[in-house]
Amino acid sequence: MNALDISSITFSYEGASACALQNFSLTVADGRMQALLGPNGAGKSTLMRVITGQMRGYSGDVCIFGRKMPDRGALSSIGYAPQAISLYKSLTARENLRFFGTMANLSDKQIAERSEAVLDQIGLADHAGEAIATYSGGMQRRLNLAVALLHSPKLLLLDEPTVGVDPQSRHHIYETLIRLNESGMTILLSTHMMEEAQRLCSSVTLADGGKMIYDGLMSEIDNLEKFFLEKTGRGLRDD
Amino acid sequence: MTRQLRELIRKEILVLLRDKQTILLLFLMPVALIFFMTLALKGVYTDKIYERQIQLVIENESKLPKASLLEQKIGSHKQISRVDRPEGMDDDRIFAENKAQAVVRIPGGFDEGEKPVEIIFDPVLDYGYKIAIRSLMTSLTVEVVMGIDNLEVVVANLIVEKTKPNREIPSPLQQTVPAYAIFAMFFIAIPMSIGFLKEKNDGTLQRLFTYDVSTNLLTLGKIIPYYLINCFQFVLMLLVGFYLMPRIIGFPFQLGDHALYLIPVTLAVAAATTGFGVLVAALARTPEQSSTLAATGAILMGVLGGIMVPYFVMPVLMKKLAMISPMYWAHQAYLDVFLRDAAFGLILPKLIVLTLFAGICFYIAGRRVEWI
Repeated sequence: MNALDISSITFSYEGASACALQNFSLTVADGRMQALLGPNGAGKSTLMRVITGQMRGYSGDVCIFGRKMPDRGALSSIGYAPQAISLYKSLTARENLRFFGTMANLSDKQIAERSEAVLDQIGLADHAGEAIATYSGGMQRRLNLAVALLHSPKLLLLDEPTVGVDPQSRHHIYETLIRLNESGMTILLSTHMMEEAQRLCSSVTLADGGKMIYDGLMSEIDNLEKFFLEKTGRGLRDD
Repeated sequence: MTRQLRELIRKEILVLLRDKQTILLLFLMPVALIFFMTLALKGVYTDKIYERQIQLVIENESKLPKASLLEQKIGSHKQISRVDRPEGMDDDRIFAENKAQAVVRIPGGFDEGEKPVEIIFDPVLDYGYKIAIRSLMTSLTVEVVMGIDNLEVVVANLIVEKTKPNREIPSPLQQTVPAYAIFAMFFIAIPMSIGFLKEKNDGTLQRLFTYDVSTNLLTLGKIIPYYLINCFQFVLMLLVGFYLMPRIIGFPFQLGDHALYLIPVTLAVAAATTGFGVLVAALARTPEQSSTLAATGAILMGVLGGIMVPYFVMPVLMKKLAMISPMYWAHQAYLDVFLRDAAFGLILPKLIVLTLFAGICFYIAGRRVEWI
């Protein structure tokens, strides 16, 4: 069974003239780490929101481990780290984890155990009692990821998890992702970092203008940046 | 679901209590307003005659017996503080330099009944104060002209004012405590709407939709904490008004004979204030918009509703306009409890108006809110 099956998704924002997603299809096999690449405005974040049930009013199907969305039960198998640092800045790391853990319906005991585990995993155990407003950008980004991991999801969706992060934190995040994938977690990674995407992911989906323009194995691509340029006619950071 | 709701409430309260500006706005601003506005409103509430001495310039141009007796009666009255006209100072300058509030001139021909006593007031004097001075002068003049020793004693046998014990004159605290508690409760709209928009902007709200949490639960998780904080605000202001302010500024504060009615009144007022907050949160698109909308709305409702200016000093048109402000209904409901000892049946219509206001706000907000 695939972790994620998306078929023919079309979605437009209210008042927008163009579709944010147009007939977009994507498959992520169970246990794979897959890159989702595309320039700004390609529809990557919108796709993430559609998958995670934040967006309604689209046509097409989204299935998570065979369960057709919208299915609130299926949400428990997804971990999602959005591009923005979506945490409560005046709360401590532990308070944020407790809050999101409760939202994920974990018991108090599970929250306590899993909080310690993910804090260790992302290297923030020593700062767990500090308000995250005092954290560096890299630390906040790591905690953003920790929240997504708290309920031990089977499918992890990461939207630009290393934006604005120093090389040390970026390295820490990528090492964490490798370990998670090796332990069997499926990961869909939306990123601008071509080199890392090529190094980490076994498959890749290219998106442009709300459309899927390539879906295949990373091993078939020699130079991802060159390949992307050929397919889209522009660089990742072009508007 | 109960655990999730409890955690949503806990998170909201923690976030709010860690914001120093919000604490200042919701709890310290009303205390400061109660303190300063009580002092400022002292003159409006105190008895115009018996609470403060009137500074008068008395000029006797007659020197005949009746005129002299009147001059002596006015000058020696316990409420009058006689001021001598400084040399070369005309009436305008006396008033401009706050030397006296009025000049009383007993003209030649007063004894013969040819000319009346003249009173010249400082133009800035409030109308109630003028009436009080005129009334005192009339009494003293009538005593002299009619040969009565003490008119007050005569009148006391004809007119008696019946008041409840210790309720002769409400202290300004009775106006300001409920008024500024209500005012601050409506200001909850600022942190409420800014918090909502901030969560939308930084994606935390959207993130919640990736969990098995219903919109209804999120709505309750947003409303209940602010409702509780509103109730707490009122209790705190009541304690400040009852225990702290009388010790600091010396005015008494009475709860009335039916203090338990404060519970349903506060519950209805908190519903209205939370409703207003939800409405602002649903209508505003940016934090700047929401703080402008909430502050302007609360101030306008306060001006109209008898919070800034006591309802009883308003002209008739303003009194009619006051009824469009929920703060008017809230304030009058509290005054019903504190001062009027009103039966619950008399307070109930005001609570219905407040609940309706809350219902309309929630309805519009429900139709306009964009969660994502």
